[in-house]
Amino acid sequence: MERSEVRGLYLLAAFLACAYAMPFVVGAWTGTVRLDERWLGNLATVVIGGIMQGGVYAMFAVGLTLIFGVMRIINAAHGEMVMMGAYLTWVCFFYLGVDPLVALVLTLPVAFLFGVAVQKLLLNAVVGAPELTGLLITFGLGLTMIYAVELIFTTDFRTIPYAPGTVRLTNTIAVGQNRVISFVMAVVISTGVYLFLKLNRLGKAIRATALNAEVAMVCGIDVRRVYLVTTGLAAALAVAGGALVSIQFGFNPETGVLYTLQAFAIIILGGRGHYLGALIGGLMLAVLENLVSLMVPNGTAMVELAAYGLMIFVLLIRPGGLMGVKEG
Amino acid sequence: MDGCSFVVPRGKISGLIGPNGSGKTTTFNLLTGLLEPDGGQVIYNGENLAGLKPYQIFRKGVTRTFQVTRIFREMTVLENMLSVTGLGVPERVARQRAEELIAFVNLGHLRSEYGGRLSYGQQKLLEFVRALMTDPDLILLDEPAAGVNRTLLQHLLDHMHRLQEQGKTIVIVEHDMNVIMNHCERIFVMDYGVKIAEGPPAEIQRDERVVEAYFGRRR
Amino acid sequence: MTRGEHLRNLVLLGACAVALTILPHALTVYRRSFVLFTMMYVVLALSWNIISGFTGYTSFGHVAFYGIGAYACAILVADYRWHWIPTLGVGAVLAALIAVVIGYPVLRLKGPYFAIAMLGAAEGTRVVATVWDSLTHGGLGISLPSAETSLETYYAMVTLMLVTIVVAYGVGHSRFGIRLNAIREDEVAAEALGINATLYKLAAFTLSAVFPAVAGGIQAYKVLYIDPPAVFFVQITIAMALMSMLGGKGTVIGPIVGAVILYTAQELTWVNFPTAHLIAYGLFIVLVARFMPRGLVGLAIDRGWVRKGMIH
Repeated sequence: MERSEVRGLYLLAAFLACAYAMPFVVGAWTGTVRLDERWLGNLATVVIGGIMQGGVYAMFAVGLTLIFGVMRIINAAHGEMVMMGAYLTWVCFFYLGVDPLVALVLTLPVAFLFGVAVQKLLLNAVVGAPELTGLLITFGLGLTMIYAVELIFTTDFRTIPYAPGTVRLTNTIAVGQNRVISFVMAVVISTGVYLFLKLNRLGKAIRATALNAEVAMVCGIDVRRVYLVTTGLAAALAVAGGALVSIQFGFNPETGVLYTLQAFAIIILGGRGHYLGALIGGLMLAVLENLVSLMVPNGTAMVELAAYGLMIFVLLIRPGGLMGVKEG
Repeated sequence: MDGCSFVVPRGKISGLIGPNGSGKTTTFNLLTGLLEPDGGQVIYNGENLAGLKPYQIFRKGVTRTFQVTRIFREMTVLENMLSVTGLGVPERVARQRAEELIAFVNLGHLRSEYGGRLSYGQQKLLEFVRALMTDPDLILLDEPAAGVNRTLLQHLLDHMHRLQEQGKTIVIVEHDMNVIMNHCERIFVMDYGVKIAEGPPAEIQRDERVVEAYFGRRR
Repeated sequence: MTRGEHLRNLVLLGACAVALTILPHALTVYRRSFVLFTMMYVVLALSWNIISGFTGYTSFGHVAFYGIGAYACAILVADYRWHWIPTLGVGAVLAALIAVVIGYPVLRLKGPYFAIAMLGAAEGTRVVATVWDSLTHGGLGISLPSAETSLETYYAMVTLMLVTIVVAYGVGHSRFGIRLNAIREDEVAAEALGINATLYKLAAFTLSAVFPAVAGGIQAYKVLYIDPPAVFFVQITIAMALMSMLGGKGTVIGPIVGAVILYTAQELTWVNFPTAHLIAYGLFIVLVARFMPRGLVGLAIDRGWVRKGMIH
């Protein structure tokens, strides 16, 4: 590692330390930090809850990082795909009476086909074009999706009442059942995708293409097919993320923008195109968000600021992220 | 690059040669501020340029061209010329100077054409005259001959000598040994980021180390 | 471009000014406000074009400045009983300051990362406007004391639009503009030619923040009620971008043409299909980016209908 890179890493570490200290400082200032047993229980609860939530974030962020790694396209419609997943699950739940987890069997193939269609109609044309063209096109796609969903479902917030109970760890520490279920599902799916990329022939082709598309092509890999599968897989991950988010939080068509920015923040923090980085970034962002919502007054609105702030500052301090190297 | 030191003679044409990857372009990047040296100095007119920004170095009278041309592709030839700063003259004068320079390299009829539509040789010429807009004192040319046809090359070399007669200092990186040997007064040879030889052309041609660097050690 | 052509353009602009001055007396209130909003989008698109078209830094967050201008006007008029005209100046200065503070770090990012960071910055501004309720009344929004404003705001917008056009034209035809273009084409080469890219980018960014702030202020006084979702609406940024792209970003006439066409189309569809027009917006971005990246003006130049520089 070069000297300037090491310096960037230290700066980033310092920044993250400040970011995590911030909610505590604000909390102490406004008196929400009390240091009694109940408060410590709350703290432990939100940290554990954050880790659970982070698993889900990491899972859908992996979809974004896959597309970026393979095609160098930043998919600005990723959050809208998450939002689409939430609505698909909601439809299955309320109209077909299908359990949200069982619904994945229906929604994931739909998502995969949707991703393939997006790749065929839009992204194939912009692979290799300046990064901005891909960003603009996917941004347009995202807007179209928002308003199409709005046309069908209106802007009302929806929720899915699912596994509302809590899992009690101690007297003071309790985590929602839905969070635990989501976390377990996210871990299962992420591991599945990881094994697919590591062991499966097609998965290996995806990784080879991400390393160097030209060399992959020379080695007889059908790059077009790899692109199709990658976007399909990314869309499936986003929709799965949407399903797991929908049983925890309310959503409306416009929440997609927040998911897009969260996913950006995560892969920028972890390092673009880096699988493990997305996992670390997801956990870190979610824990920070939960700390903010516990201690900072008006926390729910401030949670969004945590994602934006984290993203912008990491971009500025160390554009390559935690795991990435500096890009030319 | 490490432990590599040059003194470029003022008012002369010097050549910088070496095998591929020996650090010639890196040297230019260090001189013009595109790369920041980890240590060492770049002394120019008694001033240390190391650590200055590229535009500051440019305004001190150091200008360059690039190995792979970096003209502005979606701007016209004339706009390419006028983009140069630090002239300190009214627009009309700048425009006149630009017209003269592009006429000089036979690009006058293309003044309203996009830079990206020129042939590679024409782009090289445009980049060369663009670097001359401010009347610089030290001119660094990175492979000026590559892709330029014979007639135009002769034209370009003539102009280089005329600039030298005006007292300009010129350094060229070039793979065309005819250009280097016939037009440079002093030659620096680099290999693996280190200067391995320096001297007038005749001396360099006989130098064992130079031959070694290019063709490998003789058994 | 020759002196004669500059003169011709000036005469054209003067004719427009005269026509727009007489026009409102011949229009219904609805049509008058339609013309006002068309002019507002001309201002927004032209401003966005200074940083994103001329300089090549695509901003996905310019609505932030529009919102700041709107809030400056609304707060000062509603809570501090100012006359509304001076609040426009306050909004402009505030937007310029914030542009410098945001721009200095964020303009170091390239291409898509700048775009995303600006998206984050604008969303962040919206959150601040929502949370800081002692100043902004939070999510409740601000109602301005009503007044007969239709003509006042109309003429304010005419003035703003003329100023914006003159400034954008001046930038586009000066060496300042050429240097912004140089940064867009190749920032490294531009720096090697003596252009202090940081300073030029910051100047362009600040300039492009000022006019939207004033437009936001006028708009606030025109509609008399604002809240965070309305004035920090992502779609306003998208409109700026799309209008410029449709007309031809990096030119002066392009954003004007794009704004007029798109706002008219939007108004016509909006009346009939309230949500469908937004879907069309998204699709339209996709189509323009995919098939016509250089816009109508670029198309006209490529086809040889007009000479480059002629309408640029």
